[in-house]
Amino acid sequence: MIEIKQVNYSLNSKAILENIDLKITDAEFVAIIGPNGAGKSTLIKLMIGLLDMQSGSIHIDGEDHQSWLRHNSIGYLPQREEYDRNFPATALDIVLLGRMGSLKPGKRFSQEDRKIALSAMEETGCQNLQKSVISNLSGGEFQRVLLARAIATGSKYLILDEPEASIDRPGVQSFFALLKKLNQQGKTIITISHDLHTLTDYCSFLVCLNKTLHCHTQTELLNAEIIHKTFGEAVHLIEKEY
Amino acid sequence: MPILYGFLINAILGALLSGFSLALFSPYVTLRRISYLGEALSHIAFAGIAIALITGLNFTITTLAFVILVALAIGRLAERRKLDETNSITIFLSVSMALGIVLISLKRGYTFDLSSYLFGNVLMVNATDLISLAVMATLNAIFISVFYKQLFYLTYNPEIARVFRVPTQLTNRLFLILLAANIVISLKTAGIILVSAQLILPAAIAANLTRKFRSVLVICLAAAVISSLGGFALSWWLNLPTGATIVILEFFLYLLSLSLRKKF
Repeated sequence: MIEIKQVNYSLNSKAILENIDLKITDAEFVAIIGPNGAGKSTLIKLMIGLLDMQSGSIHIDGEDHQSWLRHNSIGYLPQREEYDRNFPATALDIVLLGRMGSLKPGKRFSQEDRKIALSAMEETGCQNLQKSVISNLSGGEFQRVLLARAIATGSKYLILDEPEASIDRPGVQSFFALLKKLNQQGKTIITISHDLHTLTDYCSFLVCLNKTLHCHTQTELLNAEIIHKTFGEAVHLIEKEY
Repeated sequence: MPILYGFLINAILGALLSGFSLALFSPYVTLRRISYLGEALSHIAFAGIAIALITGLNFTITTLAFVILVALAIGRLAERRKLDETNSITIFLSVSMALGIVLISLKRGYTFDLSSYLFGNVLMVNATDLISLAVMATLNAIFISVFYKQLFYLTYNPEIARVFRVPTQLTNRLFLILLAANIVISLKTAGIILVSAQLILPAAIAANLTRKFRSVLVICLAAAVISSLGGFALSWWLNLPTGATIVILEFFLYLLSLSLRKKF
């Protein structure tokens, strides 16, 4: 369980997050929605320890998150991963990064580590890419490799920052179907998304964020009023056929 | 004749050892896009040399301590994101050069040997220098084999590596300390120009020939050995300055790799 209490975060005196209280129970499929600049990525980065806390607290499984993260890996998938296009790494190298938490300096990856990494690649349908150099992968393929890395950590938490950003439309449906499958296997999924139509099909819990928490509710209760409160006047719900 | 051979062997070993050490760091420095740091640290050493000159302290130890401290300060600023890495490198570089010039101007009657500072003098390598270079080469080889995976992922993306529990802070600090130490120790043999070339060109050559990280390291070492030995031989036969000849030969290897790149 992840418990966020009274979290505030500001950047150059500008409030990004205000008084965030949120409880995410195990095996939930949570979507965080909100307009650009609403603080969604900031909230995720605070959870995974990429940003230092300014006030409030985050507890994971009852333990302060910084201390929890020192001895547990979390399955994180960033919105955009920066790397040198010439970086000489294969897809398997990138997935094996998910196993680094247990690897001491001077040690090599064990057969077990490789087996876990390959099985995660199989799960996300990218095992055939294991020897491919990352610069040769398409956006969608790379995204599957990054999801395999998150799974390879073995963490029960998967935290994703707009995973659909670099996938084409048909790919989004199968990507979310895969997340749903992982959720049914017991993983807690927390994802930022803009694709409301997809979210209502797959997620069970919705967090509407725009600096403050506007609501956190079961997905089926999502309605135009909530969307309006979160996004403001500028957004209208449009039904789309895929 | 034996004296001549002795100094020749010292020079060849000196060129090889500094080439080996810098080539080991080459892929990490270029892929992390901090090759500028290598050049900057060799300029920053100038202030260390000046401090030693004014205080009368040991040149190598004073310069080593100064450059390591500055390298760690640059690393800390980048880690804390207080300042962009390139900007902080440039600030430390210019302040160190200014400090060096001011301090040297205080030492009246002292003339600074700019040519030796820029190009080094591999022919002046003595037994003590060789021992320092050999110790550095051993430390580098141990560090890179022990922290191989940690360095690999730190180079790929330090922020992401940290999320997946790679000890990025420890790895980066050890990396910066060793990089600074290598530059100071190699400076006498190689000079600023050769140090910069040997930090950047091997990885640039390897990037044209392979996409496998292990092969990158092997090609870097091969490029360093070929250019050090070849450059040394050419400079001996054609009576040219050794450091500069090594740089030019290494550049020709780079052009050769560039022409082979199309075949991949």
